[in-house]
Amino acid sequence: MATLNLNAINKSFGSAKVLHDISLAIEDKEFVVFVGPSGCGKSTLLRIIAGLEEATDGSIIIGGEDVSDAHPVDRGISMVFQSYALYPHLSVYENIAFPLRVQKLEKSDLDGRVQRAAEILQLTDKLDLKPGQLSGGQRQRVAIGRSIVREPKVFLFDEPLSNLDAALRGDMRVELTQLHRDLDATMVYVTHDQIEAMTMADRIVVLNGGRVEQFGSPMELYHHPKTKFVASFIGQPNMNLIPATVLGVDASGIKVDLKGGHQMVLPVETATVSVGDKVEVGIRPEHVQLGNEGLEISVKVLERLGGATITYGTVGGDTRFCASLPGDALIEEGAPLKLHVAPEACHVFDAAGDVLRRKAAPELVA
Amino acid sequence: MRGEKMTEATHATGQEAESSVAKKKAKTLSEPVFAWLLIGPAMLFIAVIVAWPLAETIRLSFMEAGLGGEEYVGLANYQDLADSRKFHQTIVRTFYWMFLSVGLKLILGLIGATLLNAAVPGRGLFRVLVMPPWIIPMAIGMIGWLWLYNGYFGVLSGTMMSLGITDGPFEFLAYKQSAFYSAVVADVWVGTPMVTLFFLAAMQGVSRDLYEAAWVDGAGRWYRFRRITIPQIMPVIVSMSLLSAIFTFNSFEIIWILTEGGPRAATTTLIVDTYKTAIGNFKFGEGSARAVIIVFLLGVFSILYLQVLKIVNRKYGTK
Repeated sequence: MATLNLNAINKSFGSAKVLHDISLAIEDKEFVVFVGPSGCGKSTLLRIIAGLEEATDGSIIIGGEDVSDAHPVDRGISMVFQSYALYPHLSVYENIAFPLRVQKLEKSDLDGRVQRAAEILQLTDKLDLKPGQLSGGQRQRVAIGRSIVREPKVFLFDEPLSNLDAALRGDMRVELTQLHRDLDATMVYVTHDQIEAMTMADRIVVLNGGRVEQFGSPMELYHHPKTKFVASFIGQPNMNLIPATVLGVDASGIKVDLKGGHQMVLPVETATVSVGDKVEVGIRPEHVQLGNEGLEISVKVLERLGGATITYGTVGGDTRFCASLPGDALIEEGAPLKLHVAPEACHVFDAAGDVLRRKAAPELVA
Repeated sequence: MRGEKMTEATHATGQEAESSVAKKKAKTLSEPVFAWLLIGPAMLFIAVIVAWPLAETIRLSFMEAGLGGEEYVGLANYQDLADSRKFHQTIVRTFYWMFLSVGLKLILGLIGATLLNAAVPGRGLFRVLVMPPWIIPMAIGMIGWLWLYNGYFGVLSGTMMSLGITDGPFEFLAYKQSAFYSAVVADVWVGTPMVTLFFLAAMQGVSRDLYEAAWVDGAGRWYRFRRITIPQIMPVIVSMSLLSAIFTFNSFEIIWILTEGGPRAATTTLIVDTYKTAIGNFKFGEGSARAVIIVFLLGVFSILYLQVLKIVNRKYGTK
């Protein structure tokens, strides 16, 4: 296994620049997830690492070796595709053995590696079947098996769970996390699903418009998003963003007037903000409580999930607001509602979308 | 509606229930009748243009039939063919013609489709350029080939002379061997575009991910072609070779325009022989016997092919 370093990677397709100066240092045995909306460049970045696309600029270092110009097979990577890319005419055994047949490996060595991979992935009794006879999850495992037998330095996954149904996706998330622990491997995983990113990653790279918005651990991204984009992308349901005006600035933080008339003093760094500035206050749906005073929202729709009630409404007339409240909360659609918001749980973003660092955010777990 | 009927049936008792069942049966029976009504016109069409002529051909094959009338001769026409060395040679020649021509069409089709499928600039234009042999009327195309093969005015003979390969004009269609292979070349020219386009369509259906996965695993171009492209398009290759074999076996116009089966029967295949006998010499009975043998041979050939197709599907199929 190995480290993976990307140095100032740029990529253009004709006049369209899709990746801008991407530099990342991925540690040995780390599970890193590239996440972002469609078209953010995450798959292109993965394909550049794999050698399926050529970077316009920049270098790729795997295990200390510059592989920027190397053929994919010489990079020490293996890749699992979104479509699994299984050969439909070959049996499960032959699909897993394919890379080893290309390498013309000794038959006994080949068989040993295929059997070992099949054992790890619980495919031993499926080796004679063809991919068309397998379920989605089993096909996914065969694709992973084909990666494992290569014994690569870095595993690359391109949205491998997106073709599965929700229940199976949940199971496979757990299996992949377990596999990462068993193999002790460096893995780079692309997804547009922030839940996959949060649940599986050691660290997450959030990409937006071909740029790295933030690179950090899941909880770091959750508690300390650097930008409004990261804040609204990470977390389920999405963070609420309420326009506000700065009324005062002092050592303890800023005083803001939120749309809808509620005023709060928020404990954030004040170096880049002054009185009269327009900001946005970010409040996570799970960080509000029912109260007798506080932020007033007009409830539009309730989703009773049992354990929680997802409450959709508006603040100040037209700004959408979502709150995650107790499952049996006594609230009704159409009725006004007061919500208590703890100032230390709020995020503040300036006009450029950059965060004013919170002073009282939870400490990060090492 | 269906729900209402089911409710009615549930409540029906005694005679009512029986009549309900009868009604249901009547409904069920009408479905096949409806199906027959749908396929009836097509069946009638096939009966008129295929079944009746086939039956008439079989009947005539037991006759001594000419312009003057018919006389029943039993298996005499078949007996004559069984004893005829010339006819045996025609069968061998026809299969040789078919295997050679189809083989070349498949090989060239594969090469052409691979090149047209490659990401090269202007491949759209090349795809269009492949079409002419297929879309030019056969007679016009063959007149072109007649000119090409002409010893005095043809480009081929002229080129061979200027290169010093031949001393004087070479008439490609005047010698037994060269006439046969010249006809094969013309047949391949006509038949390759269709094979190419079918193969190209099949190749374009192969997922790009399969090639990328193989490339990441270190498989070279030839390995990918052998282990991915060929197996993936194998069912199309087999189906196409059967179709092409039948077309080639029955290919008449090309040979007839170029050589009329000559020189000295060097290009006479079964279909040309049948035409010559039945239409050229007005021996309808003998000609029909030849036609029946063609149907029989193609039938056996098709059955064998279907078996091959089954094996191929088992080996290269997805299940």
